[in-house]
Amino acid sequence: MKTKLVTLLTAVLLLALLISACGTPAPPPPPEATTPPEATTPPEATTPPEPPPAGPTGSIVIVIGNDPATLDPQAKDDGNEHKINDNVYEHLLTRDPQTGEILAELAESWEQVDDTTWRFKLVEGIMFHNGEPLNAEAVVYSAERIIDPDFNSEQISFVASITGGEVVDEYTVDILTDGPDPTLPARMTWLKIVPPVYSSEDIDQFEQAPVGTGPYKFVEWVRGSHVTLEANVDYWGGAPDIGEVTFRPIEEAATRLAALQADEVDVVTDLIPEYLAQVEKSVSVHGLEFPWIRINTNIEPLNDVRVRQALNYAVDKEALAEALYSGYASVAEGQMLTPGHFGYNPSVVAYPYDPDMARDLLEEAGASGATLELIGESGRWLKDKELVEAVAAQLEAVGLDIDVNIVEWSDWLDLLFAGAEAAPDLQYSAHDNVLLDADRTLSGLFTTEGNQAAYGNPDVDQLVLDGRSETDVELREQMYHEAVETIREEAACIFLVNLDNIYGLNPNLEWTPRLDGRIFVKDMVLSD
Amino acid sequence: MVRISAYFIRRLLQSILVIVGVSIVVFVITRAIGDPARMSMPLQATDEQVEAYAQRMGFRDPLPVQFWNWAKKAVRGDFGDSLWQREPALGLVLERVPATLQLCFTAIILALGASIPLGILAALRPRSWLDKLTTSISLLGVCIPDFWLGLMLILLFAVSIHLFFTSGYGTPRHLILPAITLAARPWGRITQIVRSSMMDEMHRTYMMTARAKGLSEQRVLITHALKNASIPIVTLAAWELTRMLAGYTIVVETVFAWPGFGQLAMHAIVERDLTLIQANVFVVALIVVAMNIAIDFIYATIDPRVRLE
Repeated sequence: MKTKLVTLLTAVLLLALLISACGTPAPPPPPEATTPPEATTPPEATTPPEPPPAGPTGSIVIVIGNDPATLDPQAKDDGNEHKINDNVYEHLLTRDPQTGEILAELAESWEQVDDTTWRFKLVEGIMFHNGEPLNAEAVVYSAERIIDPDFNSEQISFVASITGGEVVDEYTVDILTDGPDPTLPARMTWLKIVPPVYSSEDIDQFEQAPVGTGPYKFVEWVRGSHVTLEANVDYWGGAPDIGEVTFRPIEEAATRLAALQADEVDVVTDLIPEYLAQVEKSVSVHGLEFPWIRINTNIEPLNDVRVRQALNYAVDKEALAEALYSGYASVAEGQMLTPGHFGYNPSVVAYPYDPDMARDLLEEAGASGATLELIGESGRWLKDKELVEAVAAQLEAVGLDIDVNIVEWSDWLDLLFAGAEAAPDLQYSAHDNVLLDADRTLSGLFTTEGNQAAYGNPDVDQLVLDGRSETDVELREQMYHEAVETIREEAACIFLVNLDNIYGLNPNLEWTPRLDGRIFVKDMVLSD
Repeated sequence: MVRISAYFIRRLLQSILVIVGVSIVVFVITRAIGDPARMSMPLQATDEQVEAYAQRMGFRDPLPVQFWNWAKKAVRGDFGDSLWQREPALGLVLERVPATLQLCFTAIILALGASIPLGILAALRPRSWLDKLTTSISLLGVCIPDFWLGLMLILLFAVSIHLFFTSGYGTPRHLILPAITLAARPWGRITQIVRSSMMDEMHRTYMMTARAKGLSEQRVLITHALKNASIPIVTLAAWELTRMLAGYTIVVETVFAWPGFGQLAMHAIVERDLTLIQANVFVVALIVVAMNIAIDFIYATIDPRVRLE
């Protein structure tokens, strides 16, 4: 019996030794290889090697989280689908990669004709990959397709104000809205233009084999395995550098890292911060995602603004960013908008970490020792459960009694949409506003009618309502600034942090991530 | 022959009952754990949009009505479209069956191939160092968590030395690591059972007779001892294979991004894709039932005392 045990132990030890020896990551990369959180381009990127003269060459593999739900670019709100189709389809407008400013894409110019009409002049002579012409008719068709109630698009909230389109002439098109909609240009950076004949002929075919105007053409989709695109050498904006792109779903974070280390893949999205030390080259950019904690402002003691402010003072945002996200997050400046969002108020700042102030405010409001329920969930977002636990510990440190309740996803959803009255005291959620316009954030989360809101203030409601139809850009921005400031002063939620997007790259790949989180392969250059 | 076909019909009827039962349970559970419409819509969707979708999909009908509508189509092989990928759900699952079968059969062949010789050798020399080593590492094989073993194999054989691929599907270089990971547990268990049942057979008197007849030691072992020891081995191997097919591939397929129906089941659950979950469970139930019938036939083949009636 004893010798058996010895043998067993020896075997276990040997195996453990063997595996730990092999498991050790390669020697740490030279410090300049990884870029600091804010930086966007590695220093050595300044002198790109001379591109080979002969058209698109080479191939890369981009890892996505899961198989796309469909390759119809208008049906689902699915990040995996968007990552692929952003390279196949195009929009009338696009955004500056770093500032978020709206720029021309398929439309060379645009103007607002009257309150509810926007006119776009298209670039002439563009063809879809199947030879259909890109013209005013295709734009009208695309707009009307996505808003068709029978089509039931999950993307409807991105194009909600659009009522239709009108052909003015071959290359001029009007987009109509149900009221004045100053965010329409932002919506047009979202709406993908699809070929009318191909997409209406055979919907099954269209869902599986996309045809756009973009720099990459669809080659094949093997479900669960990969989607392959090839360079469109006739691309109207000039052929891209990289000849072939494969998107591979790998769900497990550790496997993604291993695939990058083994040089099997070239771009890994949503890299976990802890893994960065093992990656030879990575780039990051401020992302759009804000974890936040909703406060039910309708019930005792949370209807007292002092209590809500105390909650904000009590949370050490910097410590959260450092400890949970290894510094790949920044403090949310009292708003869930980034400087790239229209409506971001640069003069609003985060509540400083001040536990004494928090205690005083709770004392004043007679809420010291109050018991609050904090609802969280686990696994949907990066470090969601850990964040909830850390925040709860910080709130308890100022004398509150926090009852943390991590619930199942469906229960979490029921509570989120229970309505303002039945909402739990505190609930963790995560928000990202890819339209880069404050309306989406403010109206959804901070108005009486907002579908995820547990806060209502008639002044904010009015500002958001007016802002939605105010066509004077400066006036509109003013309104959002005011609303953002009120929401911050009233501590309508617990503001936490803003997460960075982290990408692991093949060392030979040059690419600067974009503010809007999109991945355009045409911006990538492969050196050898 | 009459007996066999009677047996077959009875098993078939039992199987249909099992499959219908499983379908009902899954149908009820997937609809009881929350609003299926809300769960498959984005967070920004308004209540009106969710409601419209729920009406269109029939999620607001009484449960028995929903089941009846579903069952009417299901008996014709139409399980409805996947909510997630908007394709016929059954087709999406069947598309993934070859990958999972390939993985599981490779794993069970690896496990049998490695465990039978090792188990026999250990049984021949009880208490030798080989026997002790075999007992120890087979225990290890049973205990090692598959996700951990998988990641370690990836680090060792795909990252440190580029012998195999970390993940994906297509070539033997993609297949080996997930198959080994999946094989670890059945290999351990089968090694143990081969060793113990061979040891039992060694002391039977027919072995002495066989040796006395002058048969070679090899023939004594293979045609006499192993054949008699094979019922528990087959039972265990079949049970392990069934377990793999019925869900134990989920972890391995996820770690290795292997496009089988285990991975699909995982996605279906994450995406709350009711129709896809339902189709997946149906296919798995079908496979399990078929495996059980197949095993009965194998028993009857290797052991003439077993009758199918």
